[in-house]
Amino acid sequence: MSTARDMLCDTASAVFAEAATAGIAPVEAAGFALLLVPEADGGFGGDWGDLNAVLKIAGVMAPDLPVAEHILSGLGEMSPALHAAATVSLMAGAMEQALALSVEHVNTRQQFGRPLGKFQAVQQSLAVMACEVRAVDAAAGAMAARLDAAGFTDADFEIAAAKLRANRAVGVVTAIAHQVHGAIGFTQEYDLNRVTIPLMRWRGAHGNDAHWAGILGRQVASLGGRGLWETLTARAV
Amino acid sequence: MQDFALYPFDPPGDILALRTDLRAWLAINQPEGDIVERANCWASFDTGFSRALGAAGYIGMTLPARYGGGDRHPLERYVVIEELLAAGAPVGAHWIADRQTGPLILRYGSEEQRQRYLPGIARGELYACIGLSEPGAGSDLAAVRTTARETAEGWRISGQKIWTTGAHLSHVMLALVRTEEGSERNAGLSQFLVDLDTPGITIRPIIDMAGNHDFNEVFFDDALVPHGALVGERGQGWKQVTAELGLERSGPERYLSSHALFAALIDAAGADPDPAVAALIGELAAEMWTLRQLSMSTAAKLAAGEDPMVEASVVKELGNSFEQDMPRRIQAVVTSGWEDPDDLARLLRALLIASPSFSLRGGTREVIRGIIARGLGLR
Repeated sequence: MSTARDMLCDTASAVFAEAATAGIAPVEAAGFALLLVPEADGGFGGDWGDLNAVLKIAGVMAPDLPVAEHILSGLGEMSPALHAAATVSLMAGAMEQALALSVEHVNTRQQFGRPLGKFQAVQQSLAVMACEVRAVDAAAGAMAARLDAAGFTDADFEIAAAKLRANRAVGVVTAIAHQVHGAIGFTQEYDLNRVTIPLMRWRGAHGNDAHWAGILGRQVASLGGRGLWETLTARAV
Repeated sequence: MQDFALYPFDPPGDILALRTDLRAWLAINQPEGDIVERANCWASFDTGFSRALGAAGYIGMTLPARYGGGDRHPLERYVVIEELLAAGAPVGAHWIADRQTGPLILRYGSEEQRQRYLPGIARGELYACIGLSEPGAGSDLAAVRTTARETAEGWRISGQKIWTTGAHLSHVMLALVRTEEGSERNAGLSQFLVDLDTPGITIRPIIDMAGNHDFNEVFFDDALVPHGALVGERGQGWKQVTAELGLERSGPERYLSSHALFAALIDAAGADPDPAVAALIGELAAEMWTLRQLSMSTAAKLAAGEDPMVEASVVKELGNSFEQDMPRRIQAVVTSGWEDPDDLARLLRALLIASPSFSLRGGTREVIRGIIARGLGLR
């Protein structure tokens, strides 16, 4: 990661922490609407990789605030596909947080005289969850890379694939996170619901599974079996 | 928790030309074969094809030129193998030697071993098999009991390996055996390059549920191999094997080996597919695209000299599930009958039957998930 992106992420973490109690105002005041605006136009000149990194943090720290909408508003671009793309990054961050909370919980909570994480059944569940979280993170990163390489008018395949993959991970990730937490994870007080409820909401926002599966499926069908491979390899490496 | 940062897949050289040249070469040299052979194609042995592929410079690509290799970057090799798999080329004969035995010999082998084996591997003429599993050591690999005893004339190997894919078609086995008497678990193990024509070795077939002969039992009855057959450091076999398995688990074969079925589904669906079929194609495409990103990132991490043990396990777990579920999900939405003669039906039947092995070979699903859990900081 670049130094500029590290600094951006540090700023985002501090601002989103404040926003968690103060609302969207600190995000607006910090100028996040300028993130994607070119430097020549007085903006930050950030790329989609930067946006992905910032929104992953927002997905952890400020999942209930319209951070993605605010940043995209700076572009003056209201394309539904871009909102879907931004949502994938939020989902990737929220899933990382659900996994981190789950790992911490099972390493701390003791039952039958040992931490839950010592039980193979729990280990196997968390491994399944981790695979989904890694997949969504990879999808978000590759989608951002395509947006940077080709611009948002030619990233339709990647946005569709990434949103669909992220949607499909939501059920597994939220179910396992709650299962390994037991009753404490079902309380309003405990932090898990702060990411799992947004994940449930985001699955249906800006295109649910059926929406993107239909679009992507018809696009791939029009390519033909060999055409799919040729298209995949032509679009990335 | 270990750092899972994504690594950019950025191979040197002209990758477009590499793909274009290989596709043109395959158009001429890939045998027509049966469509079913194109699925699970890294189990399809075709020695003529392997020799031609080696002669064209597509095997042993990352080995140094002084051993007959191509001096190419590991990510250039990655591009070549994903093209071969996507085309369903019969790469089974040289697959193991090219993927793991060659690189392991280069890393740990003696100069004599490198000169003896690597040029043949790179020509696509010398094939290898993996001697790990034993009757009492499957998922529990550290329970290996086959022994090698040092004598004046060389090492005497006794014991049995099982589930050895391609032993009957291979020239050499890279075997993990116990060299230190009284040692237990993962201590006291060493690796040997065992020429399979050595007296005292017996290979017997095991026919799998698809009716194929891939597996074998290999018996060692006081088989004498030279002192120079020891690979790397005596007693360090476990460490070497672990590195070898990293090569085995992360490659594109973990999500591309059934690509022929997906392609057949897409072709059968036509340009205006039934909504349920379109949805399934969309889901499979999204999963395949994501797996490709994960696999490429893992390959890039490996190429950067890092150890992607956990990432490789994530690729294997997700890739196995993708490939294992694919025929089941396709069967649920298409009208193909079990005995139908069309490509889609035949591929579907073949992969439904083959797919239970996907989450067994190269480490069972349960073992792989255990490795991932350890990477998460559990245990």
